[in-house]
Amino acid sequence: MRYLYSILWKDHSRTHLLWAFLGTTAGFVLLLAGIQFYLDIKSVLSQNQDLMDPEYIVINKKVNIGQTLGLVMAGFSPEEIEEIASQPFADQVAPFLSNNFPVSGYTENERFPDFYTDLFFEAIPDEYIDVKSEDWNWSPESGNIPIIIPQDYLNLYNFGFAPSQGLPQIPKGVISMININIRLKGQGRGNYDDYPGRIVGFSNRIHSILVPHDFLIWANEKYGYFKKTDPSQVILVSKDPTDPAIIKFLEEKGYDTIREKLKSSRMNIILKFIISFLVVIASIIIALAFLVFLLSLQLMISRSSEKIRRLNKLGYHYREISRPYVVLLLILMVGVTGLSLLITSILTRQFSSMAGEWSLDISSSLYGIIYGTALGLITLIFFSNVVAILVSTKKLCK
Amino acid sequence: MTIQLDKMIPLPMLEQDTTGSGIWEIESVRFEQGKTYIIEAASGRGKTSLLSVIYGIRKDYRGKVYLDHNDINDFTWRDWSLLRKEKLSFIFQGLELFDNLTALENIQLKNSISNHQSPQKIEEMAERLGLAEFLQRKAGILSFGQQQRVAILRALCQPFDYLLADECFSHIDRENSLKAYQVIREECESQKAGLILTSLNGTDLLEAHVRMKL
Repeated sequence: MRYLYSILWKDHSRTHLLWAFLGTTAGFVLLLAGIQFYLDIKSVLSQNQDLMDPEYIVINKKVNIGQTLGLVMAGFSPEEIEEIASQPFADQVAPFLSNNFPVSGYTENERFPDFYTDLFFEAIPDEYIDVKSEDWNWSPESGNIPIIIPQDYLNLYNFGFAPSQGLPQIPKGVISMININIRLKGQGRGNYDDYPGRIVGFSNRIHSILVPHDFLIWANEKYGYFKKTDPSQVILVSKDPTDPAIIKFLEEKGYDTIREKLKSSRMNIILKFIISFLVVIASIIIALAFLVFLLSLQLMISRSSEKIRRLNKLGYHYREISRPYVVLLLILMVGVTGLSLLITSILTRQFSSMAGEWSLDISSSLYGIIYGTALGLITLIFFSNVVAILVSTKKLCK
Repeated sequence: MTIQLDKMIPLPMLEQDTTGSGIWEIESVRFEQGKTYIIEAASGRGKTSLLSVIYGIRKDYRGKVYLDHNDINDFTWRDWSLLRKEKLSFIFQGLELFDNLTALENIQLKNSISNHQSPQKIEEMAERLGLAEFLQRKAGILSFGQQQRVAILRALCQPFDYLLADECFSHIDRENSLKAYQVIREECESQKAGLILTSLNGTDLLEAHVRMKL
């Protein structure tokens, strides 16, 4: 058999095979590294998510001129809420409840400047609120109204408004001590009541002035006389805020949210885009390299066609004649797989130590699926080439 | 093994006058193992075609060819490969040597399939064919006559029931032809094989059981 190898291997084109080898290796590295990094970054994203637990996303409709003119409803209809709730990424959904009667607040305290302001209240069930406070309860008997305002409001005052107006900055604890009179007005003149109110917490999650859900239901019942409107905000709880479907859904529906919250979802989309781009490029490279392999081997076979006919006349089966080509192919394929896995794992290690400097925890070894992909692809290329080799040697034989 | 031709004629021969042919005009021709057949004919009478059809490298013929009563049309790739390795040996008119291999490597290419001949036996036969000193030379630089003897020696390096020799002495002088014929006959006898030898002319000195004209 060794004569067969020395006869048939003579006619190879070293340059063709080298380029095919390098091209396939490059394509493989690109593809494998792409998959590896995608998995890495995905795991980093979901790790970060674990720290924050499920994401609470407040959704509102984008404000447009139609709403300004009162032509379009800014609120969410029950059907729309139902639709949001039915999305696979939505684990819980709750509409915001708002007051449908006038509310105002004022202070009477010699230590602080008096103020008076019209107010609004919104409420959602307690489980959606990030502030846990003992004071966060209400009963018709106690009458005390606990209030949660956004942390940002306090910041605005302390770091923006107060310094510019020569007013003192107020720490959180002090704010909670200020008694605010809350006036709830029903329909008709003189139909109002004052209740003591107090700010009991600051929310990072919800940009609204919150009061207990029970209270607002009760108050709307008692004082409410505005025409009932659909809730303008909805809170959505998602266990996987990295899911790119969230952004896609919101954009399709024209809903808006605080973008920051969906950073990982957005990042995921960008990531997926980059990776799929990479995969397409890698696939093209691999396809081209595969073609070069195919053509180089065919060229080799056709250069050797006289020899193959001769060997066939001497009694060699076309399968025996194919063997040197298959062995050559196998050597190259094993080389491609080995080399591309090696390069990918070196890249991975580099990437991992680089990411370590940014305190990102990224795997420094290859994922199992990388080996699987490499093996699967190489097997596919190998066997389709073997078929091509068998077909073309058979053609030359009798 | 018996070889039987039933009204077999290669297609190109149909366009020629085959009157008086000892094969193309005969209803059924039978070759028997162990016998020596010499087929003599002028150029273009179908000598090579006849042997090629029997060897399976020509399929353009009319009629039937049977090897041991099996129609060769039904043979698979595997069947042909086995036949050419173990039952049929061919000395090609075109030699079919690999120029880049040495004479010995050309011979080994065949011999290594079944290790039929020992190295000593090959050397001995090479000696008798006057090839001993050329064994290590590249086949491509040998004279045609020397190459022809390499091809003869190669054909003897496998088991066979029939040896098909196609004008195998065309470039060898009379004396060396007789020596070579002797070597061939001995190998055929030791294998109890048949020999079908074609030639243009000058075969009268070669012993044979049957002589045919195409």
